[in-house]
Amino acid sequence: MTGSRLRTLIGFGAVALTLGFFPALQEALDLPRFLVIFLFTTMFWVSQASSWNILTGFAGYFSFGQGAWYGIGVYTVSVLVGKHGWPFVAALPFAGLAAGAAGLLLGVVVFRLRRLSGEIFALTTLAVAFVLAAVARLSPAIDGGTGIFMTGTPIPEFLGDFSTAMYRLTLVFALLTVLAAYLIHDSRLGWGLFAIRDDEQVADGLGVPVFRYKMAALGANAFFAGLMGGVWSLQLGFVTVDDVFNIRVPLFVILMSVLGGMSHWMGPVLGAVIITTLSDRLNSAGLADVSQIIIGALLVVLALAVREGVYLRMRDRWVTTAAIFFGVLALVTVLDINSSLISDFAYAIVATTVAMLVPSGVWERVRAARGGNGRGGPPDILAEDLTEANT
Amino acid sequence: MDLISQGVVSGVLVGGLYALMSLGLSLSWGALKIINLAHFSFILLSAYFVYQLTLSYQIDPLVTMVLVVPLFFGIGALMQVFFHMVKVDEFKSLIITFGIFIILQSLIRTIWSADFRRIGSELNPYATESIHIGAVAFPVSQLVAFAAAVLIAVGMSLLLSRTYFGKAVRAVAQDREMARAFGVDPRRVAVILSGLTTCFSALAGLFVAVGQTIFPGLAVSWFGIVFSVVILGGLGNTVGTLTAGVIVGVASNTAAVTWGPLSAPLVTFLILIAALLFRPEGLLTRRSVA
Repeated sequence: MTGSRLRTLIGFGAVALTLGFFPALQEALDLPRFLVIFLFTTMFWVSQASSWNILTGFAGYFSFGQGAWYGIGVYTVSVLVGKHGWPFVAALPFAGLAAGAAGLLLGVVVFRLRRLSGEIFALTTLAVAFVLAAVARLSPAIDGGTGIFMTGTPIPEFLGDFSTAMYRLTLVFALLTVLAAYLIHDSRLGWGLFAIRDDEQVADGLGVPVFRYKMAALGANAFFAGLMGGVWSLQLGFVTVDDVFNIRVPLFVILMSVLGGMSHWMGPVLGAVIITTLSDRLNSAGLADVSQIIIGALLVVLALAVREGVYLRMRDRWVTTAAIFFGVLALVTVLDINSSLISDFAYAIVATTVAMLVPSGVWERVRAARGGNGRGGPPDILAEDLTEANT
Repeated sequence: MDLISQGVVSGVLVGGLYALMSLGLSLSWGALKIINLAHFSFILLSAYFVYQLTLSYQIDPLVTMVLVVPLFFGIGALMQVFFHMVKVDEFKSLIITFGIFIILQSLIRTIWSADFRRIGSELNPYATESIHIGAVAFPVSQLVAFAAAVLIAVGMSLLLSRTYFGKAVRAVAQDREMARAFGVDPRRVAVILSGLTTCFSALAGLFVAVGQTIFPGLAVSWFGIVFSVVILGGLGNTVGTLTAGVIVGVASNTAAVTWGPLSAPLVTFLILIAALLFRPEGLLTRRSVA
């Protein structure tokens, strides 16, 4: 085990422990209960974005299919529990398995075809979700247009009350998804997927088992998305086709991963935290209608402006990042602009993200103006050139 | 038997509307290399414009064409100017137009709410009228839409094969740099073509507003059908798109009549998969621009 892997796993364990004890901490310190709900919503999106990124970020196959896998998970649990009276926990694994199987089925059809380009794959996955929606709406065995009630589903006692149970379930599955993404990222499978993303024909020629690897990525994506969908059926309470198979899930995972960065497993995690915080604050400020417009506009800007995502930039400029984040956090806390803890964090997160979205060229110039000898800065010659060019 | 023949006739007619909805997407993908998901919201937006204009000025819905079509030409042309400014490839265009799609969908939802809207029958003589031949009914609104689809598909095909502009479009689609070397301005060609494609979407929206109830979720429900038609027809192939629209319309309608409504989306999807498997280049590829 290399040093960096050990460090990552220790960090992973620390985050898991902190998050694991958070509900107890919240009660002990009498923090707002909403924090628990906010955190399990965030973890839901962390899991969705991370699982999406295994296929799209690593293997480069752009997928609109996240809503389909998520929806299969939601409906598997809803039908088994709501219509056949299964216990919730027994139905849960089938959510992941059903979605995973559907993913592999699609994979067999589309990946066996050499000619299927990335764009056509993307649109095929888009069509899958709408076909599933139509089938669910028309078939009485699944939904039949009436919806399924999940409120009052008995939850095993060891999970605690409703929000604590949601918190624990989402935490476990989010950790599993991110761990899987990390392990794939740093494995032979991951290198193979990156090779496929860069140039599939060359990868094939160099002996990467292209078909098997793509199937593995698609299967993992669908499995984790479905599993978390199964958990989320509880939170939905009343499951309807329009609520489940809408454009929201694919839109948000794309946005989160593009923002965070798709080449690293941490990118979607960070993107999910940023977007969930932002959208939660917009909604609580009564801007729910505008928030979708803002998010659409953000997607356009990000697609044009940011190539590698904010995570890698934050890692490269971690001193600046930490300074801005804690500076703004301290500032809003001292000024007491907003009494809510999430709002304080939201200001800090937005400030840091915006700072990281500044084009690289501007950063280089700032560094050059300072003398160009800073940590990781450009070589002196380049710095001089830039200074000259500026004057 | 009458039920089946009625199903086939409705399928052919509704296939015309499917083709009209798909023409814009197919041309912009095939010739401009831009997968424009915003077309779905353009169709819906145009439908809402038609609805609003008809209601506000108490005019015949078909008359709104004189306002709506030029407006959408402008929107499409402007969008292409933007795409030129930021230099997008096929992949980026997918993400960017998805963003535009989301923005327009929320705008529609904000302005007109999620309610079901329909142009009242006193203003819309086309919705209820139909011509009867034997036991089979031909709804007028669908007949007009079908005629428009045929006119546009054949007209565009002639335009692309016979005129200077058409040659320029095909040249740009094949090799932008070479086209430039031979004196074609790729930017201008692309802007005009993009304007035209959004015009087709605007017309599709007009017939949607005339023929059925509209609501914001409608745009999303078109994805499966339109995408199947575009792939089956072949990118940039207008006559192919018309043929594919009719095939998809007839197949899904007949399936719905024989096996119940559940089978229609499944049949559409199976056609799509079959098209991807056996004819990924489209049914009639000879005339394709790309």
